[in-house]
Amino acid sequence: MMKKKLIATTLVAVLLTGIAAGLAGCGSDSENADGKTHISILQYKPEAVKAFEKMEAEFNATHDDVYLTIESPNDAMTVLKTRLIKEDAPDIVGIGGDVNFSNFVDAEILMDISDFEGISQVKESYLEIAKNLEFVPSDGIYAVPYVANAAGVLYNREMFEKNNWEIPTTWEEFIELCETIKASGQLPLYFGYKDIWTCLAPWNALAVDLAPADVCRQVNKGETKFIDEYGEVAEKTLQLLDYAQDDPFAYNYNDACTAFANGESAMYCIGSYAVPQIQSVNPDMDIDSFVMPGSSNAEENVLNSGIDLQFCVTSNCKNKEAAYEVLDFLLQDSTIQTYLDDQNAVPCKDQEFTLPSSLDGMVDYINEGKMSDYQDHYYPAEMSVDAQIQTFLLNGDVDAFLNKFDTDWVRYNRDIIRKVQEYEEKGGN
Amino acid sequence: MKSLNKNQTFMLITIPILALFFCFNTLPLIKGLIYSFTNFRGFGNYEWVGLRNYADLFTDSRVGKSYLFTFKFAILATIVTNVISLLLALGLNARIRAKSALRGIYFVPRILGGLVVGYIFGYFFTYILPALGQAIGSESLGSSMLSNTKTAWIAIVIVAAWQSIAQTTLIYISGLQTVPEDVYEAGAIDGATGWKRFKELTFPMIIPFFSINMVLSTKDFLMVFDQIMALTKGGPAQSTESISYLIYNNGMGGGQFGFQSANAVLFFIVIVAISVFQLNFTGKKEEQL
Amino acid sequence: MKKKNRVAAATNWPLTILLILGCITVIFPLYMAIVIAFKKPSEMTNDISGALGLPKSWSLENFAEAMRVTDFWHSLGYSLLITVVTVVLAILIHSLAGYAIGRSKTGSKFYNFSYLYIVSGMFVPFAILMMPLVKQTAQLHIDNWVGVILCYLVFYMPMNIMLYTGYLKNIPIALEEAATVDGATTWTTYWKVIFPIMKPMHATVAVLTALGTWNDVMTPLVIMSGTGANTLPLAQLTFQTQFGTNYNLAFASYLLALIPILIFYLVCQKQVINGVVNGAVK
Repeated sequence: MMKKKLIATTLVAVLLTGIAAGLAGCGSDSENADGKTHISILQYKPEAVKAFEKMEAEFNATHDDVYLTIESPNDAMTVLKTRLIKEDAPDIVGIGGDVNFSNFVDAEILMDISDFEGISQVKESYLEIAKNLEFVPSDGIYAVPYVANAAGVLYNREMFEKNNWEIPTTWEEFIELCETIKASGQLPLYFGYKDIWTCLAPWNALAVDLAPADVCRQVNKGETKFIDEYGEVAEKTLQLLDYAQDDPFAYNYNDACTAFANGESAMYCIGSYAVPQIQSVNPDMDIDSFVMPGSSNAEENVLNSGIDLQFCVTSNCKNKEAAYEVLDFLLQDSTIQTYLDDQNAVPCKDQEFTLPSSLDGMVDYINEGKMSDYQDHYYPAEMSVDAQIQTFLLNGDVDAFLNKFDTDWVRYNRDIIRKVQEYEEKGGN
Repeated sequence: MKSLNKNQTFMLITIPILALFFCFNTLPLIKGLIYSFTNFRGFGNYEWVGLRNYADLFTDSRVGKSYLFTFKFAILATIVTNVISLLLALGLNARIRAKSALRGIYFVPRILGGLVVGYIFGYFFTYILPALGQAIGSESLGSSMLSNTKTAWIAIVIVAAWQSIAQTTLIYISGLQTVPEDVYEAGAIDGATGWKRFKELTFPMIIPFFSINMVLSTKDFLMVFDQIMALTKGGPAQSTESISYLIYNNGMGGGQFGFQSANAVLFFIVIVAISVFQLNFTGKKEEQL
Repeated sequence: MKKKNRVAAATNWPLTILLILGCITVIFPLYMAIVIAFKKPSEMTNDISGALGLPKSWSLENFAEAMRVTDFWHSLGYSLLITVVTVVLAILIHSLAGYAIGRSKTGSKFYNFSYLYIVSGMFVPFAILMMPLVKQTAQLHIDNWVGVILCYLVFYMPMNIMLYTGYLKNIPIALEEAATVDGATTWTTYWKVIFPIMKPMHATVAVLTALGTWNDVMTPLVIMSGTGANTLPLAQLTFQTQFGTNYNLAFASYLLALIPILIFYLVCQKQVINGVVNGAVK
């Protein structure tokens, strides 16, 4: 009996000390424990984790005063938002140029970095894209655009050469090509629509050809409606299903990349970001890309390109100089090259880099600046446009889809529309 | 401790417990209620919006759909689980060999985590079942159940029931064991066999166990989350978004902290209402018997 | 009469066979997980035999890789830590609370209210507490395993206190009175007399709390996110995309997540089954 009691008491004591230690452990901040300033980055591209590990090691090997940690979790946006709820934001966030960024700027959780000198090295066009993402244009600069990506159609170059297929430049040519491929007994397209976000890839690529670039802004100002602008986009996205595998809604992004890599389809409507994934399955594959020819007029077709990764300093960051030091490092040519070697991307820095061969078909558009940002970068995340597109692709009802798009838009953007209209009244452009 | 009398000791125990409970249950509940009146995104600044979120709840088709799905799912899953469990319990309580080994095996799904079970079944529904369907030439089985809005929810019912049958069966068995042999002997003299015997003799005896199972499984199924996370993530076409999943997904990830707080408050009221109704209903039923 | 009955009670063989066949529904998913976990991606062809046939060799390679990817030992450590501490504290604290409240709730408005107040917590869905709890645990700097344990202690409090107070009804009060007459305080009486008597209920509470905490994903998901620490099920979620299309690796990892609880079940099968049934029926 005595022994039992002793064991029980000891056990309780151990547990309580454990908890106390746990409490104390997280109370002490790791900052300055080694006399260095700690800067943490949370970036949202888990597929680039290897490149970031290299960058992290490189930075810490060359800097004595600042210690850098980079996290690349899965589902980083939820992790980041949870950390924002916890008021425990990292110093620097690496996010996409999308509506999350717009919300962060609006919620005043990012720091104005107008005084960061390195910003002058970034191409003006990308700074403009970032500026356009703000709900209401502000005076500050909140993002350092890092790399851009492009979406269109990836194709299997080997298959195309063997069959003498031509790169299409208009919608009619594209459909004709699909028919030819289908007639030859092969599969033109493969989709991974089980992952709803992949529904946005063809949607975006078609939307930049067929709808005005600032359609969301126009709607917010009350100048137009989506049902008047997106009809053709919807019809054509739907039409693509005729040329894809049976039941594309059963397969996810990984499945689709694997299928394309194994030559199961000749083309794949996805962004350039998918190339590393595809090559991980089939390293020898010769992939090229072309701009989605959404319009019947080849002149109207533009490349769908936006900021894939940008760095923002959060207002939580206590040491601005150290953060700038990290940003300077990230913008060094050699660091960018480390990223490019690992990921398929277009750097935003105003400098010549060798672009991967999988972007051959898009390089002219990039150089000429014939580009337009992803339209979904303006869609609020909670509206789940991707899921709505999936719903629509399953039932094929264009009008119902676009009507819902319009009503949902007003409901989810109510506060933003109010802000925009207030801004307009005050005489903004 | 020596100078304390019984009442003082009890007070000293109860007060900290109540405080702990208040801090991690009641306080967050109140905070959630407060957030439900704001347009808080989860970060940054926010404004009071009065009852707007509640008004929106009743016009938001996505929320409406998630309630419909959750109820549809909970009702079917409860029925499927209880019918199969009852049959299984009758079987496992009959004169069979290897009784305890069989009971042990049928109980295994209860101890496994819903998420991992969901992943395993996800593979089964995406690859094995369609391959099986094609092999036997069945059109409807030939494609993945999870990619079709009409069948995806059934797949979730199957997985949820697969796990939940284990415990439900065990509870029915312990109910059946309370039925004394002589009830059957008396019944046998009256010529009660098979279905009649079950309906008139066995079932009335295990009604308390039936009501326990109904309450437990309905409550579990209404809060379904893991299986959805693993199998469909709410898809295809948002057809399998349960209330819990929607609150998590849009509240934490989607920047609708305020609005989804309102949704959570509504969900809480619905759960309480259902539980009170069930307890009253089954309570009355038991009294009648 | 009785003897005659025994003779008539022959084994129902058709039913036995039917029930044995029915076990396939339970075993098949596990079988599938095992064979896939041992195979190489190249062995997975698109037909059924490719997925369900036995692997060519029983190599542990996938498991080693899965352990590395999901940081298995750390995740296992956190799962064990959280479950064990929660269970031990639940038995100590909830039984004590159940005793204090259960023994006084007849005739005392305060204790009766306390009982109903805590038990009504059973109806509060986690979804409503989730977001404020995330904020709260972060503000208290316990957005780690400590916070998760505290949350569990509160989540399981309604059920456990109900179980303990229910069980106490069957323990005659005379036992304590006898001890008190001997001069023992309420506190020592509890630990020496009552606590050991409630042993069967401790087992039930332990099993129910352990199964619940071990398999829970949502609480650690929201509270521990960003700390880099995972529990075993959470690791499956966190690393899901890193498995890519390598289902063999993924299944090896799933199996690893299931094995600890399966072993536990094999060892304490009887206690687990009894615990679950008692918890529901009592």
